[in-house]
Amino acid sequence: MIRNPLLLKEFRQRMRTARAPIVVFGYVCGMALFTFFLLYENVQGQLTLLLPQRSEQVFLTLSLVQMTVAGFLTPAFAAGSISGERERRTLAVLLTTPLSPFGILAGKILSSTALLVLLLVVTLPLYSLVFLFGGAVPGEVVAVFAFQLFTILVIAALSVCWSTLVLRSGWSTVLSYATVAWMLVFTGVMGYGLQLVAQRYPLDQFLAGWGSFLLSLNPLWVLALLEAAVTGPPHAWAWFCLVYGGLCVILMTASVWRLRPQVLRFLPLRPEADERDYQ
Amino acid sequence: MIQTENLCKRYGRHLAVRDLNLFVRRGTVFGLVGENGAGKTTTLSVLATLTTPTSGRAYVNGFEVMGNPAGVRRSIGYMPDSFGVYDDISCQEYLQFYAECYRVPRAVAEARCQEYLDWVGLADQRDTYVNHLSRGMQQRLEIARCLMHDPPVLILDEPTSGLDPRSRIEVRQVLKRLRELGKTLIISSHILHELSEVADEIGMMRRGELIAVASVEVLRSHTSAYRRLHLAGDADFARWSAVLREDPRVMDVHPAAGGVEVLYAGTVLQQADLLARLVRAGIAVTQFVEQPTDIEALFLRLTEEGLA
Repeated sequence: MIRNPLLLKEFRQRMRTARAPIVVFGYVCGMALFTFFLLYENVQGQLTLLLPQRSEQVFLTLSLVQMTVAGFLTPAFAAGSISGERERRTLAVLLTTPLSPFGILAGKILSSTALLVLLLVVTLPLYSLVFLFGGAVPGEVVAVFAFQLFTILVIAALSVCWSTLVLRSGWSTVLSYATVAWMLVFTGVMGYGLQLVAQRYPLDQFLAGWGSFLLSLNPLWVLALLEAAVTGPPHAWAWFCLVYGGLCVILMTASVWRLRPQVLRFLPLRPEADERDYQ
Repeated sequence: MIQTENLCKRYGRHLAVRDLNLFVRRGTVFGLVGENGAGKTTTLSVLATLTTPTSGRAYVNGFEVMGNPAGVRRSIGYMPDSFGVYDDISCQEYLQFYAECYRVPRAVAEARCQEYLDWVGLADQRDTYVNHLSRGMQQRLEIARCLMHDPPVLILDEPTSGLDPRSRIEVRQVLKRLRELGKTLIISSHILHELSEVADEIGMMRRGELIAVASVEVLRSHTSAYRRLHLAGDADFARWSAVLREDPRVMDVHPAAGGVEVLYAGTVLQQADLLARLVRAGIAVTQFVEQPTDIEALFLRLTEEGLA
């Protein structure tokens, strides 16, 4: 994948402008200020009052804030990737090269997540500050980091797919942010609401099941579960990976067809692609 | 090298290309001319594997566009009618990116990059960002881009469109040089005159159909043989026509502002005989002017007569 020429070109383009270091610097400064504020609140100016439980809360809060920020930043980098190529009129030429449609999509997904991964990596020293005060173990940090990475990849993949399937960057951005809102807000509110209702009516297992399922689709809840901050099914993260992984596969297949309708010509009853408008 | 058999492409109810049978020999330059909506771009898109044909077959370098699109893609360099460029990458990086897409070894790509930038007259712009180049320079860079993987076939859709006269001449010179490389070229354009300067054969499309194909050599010989004369005077068209058609070198007469327009197959000296004939017939000729030959009208006329 590292030999993907599109990926290398995108890295070069994205990282050579002044925007990349400014975004990284601004993000690290913001997160550092936030971390020091949380730590100060934790110790309340007296180092003898250190409580490992509160330090764990700092770690959790930091992870959740980072997940939310990264979640809402990802579409900004990914939502215009393919539709932007189309609007810039570079897509037709790209499609006449031997690059596979999957290679094009993968290159776009990985390049749009590169800066966000960099943002996660540069905040690792801030997490290490939390270790000083106890309460979080390295295994948790690895699990949280891996989950954040996976979620960013999922959001980027869905955004790139929307960007391929719809014709305009504006629509692609709307759909991508709607997807992020579904993941971060809607599933949380609905899942929590259904569980509250189920608590009032304990016999209604159906509602409780749906509530639990919706919550397992919420990355913030799964992240809190990984840190044992909330209770839920032990393998909720597996549901999360399965559902969103499956959604990515479906949308990627549709995107491959959109880019090169010939690739799926063996499928019966495949819809006719409107090639005239697309390229 | 390029062949289509009863190629059709339909967009909904609109038939963009209808039963197209085209044959382009290896190492020749084929010009495709026609007005907007004639089906030129759709034809080239099918040949470039960007569009799937509704029916019929198309072959490029022996590969069928639906059966082996990957083989077709490796064989072609495609330049669309309206293209864009990437921001913030230099000409050299731009060319190397496309070379990498075709898995051209790095050392070969660097050598070709030097060679083709020089070839299209952009050697001094090597480190300039592509989006900072003028449109004409970008067109020439696109031609260099098409050559980076050394394809045997080049498909160029309106390579001079949207350019100022100077840039058109520069791009045309590059196209002429492409002939020297022995590539097979298919070029579309609105302007027949422009295509006739670079092409060996010209096909005219209208409403999705290839209505005529002619060799440029034949076209040129007839262009030099035929002259278009504009005559003005006091006679009506019937009288003009009767007198003029007595001369066997007059091929065609039709009304024009203040007189008639004549397609004449004689020399400049023989035009004097024609003028004398008109004067002897009592027509007061007030204007007798030779006009540049309309190559498009001539092309259609020749193909209708089956001369080409």
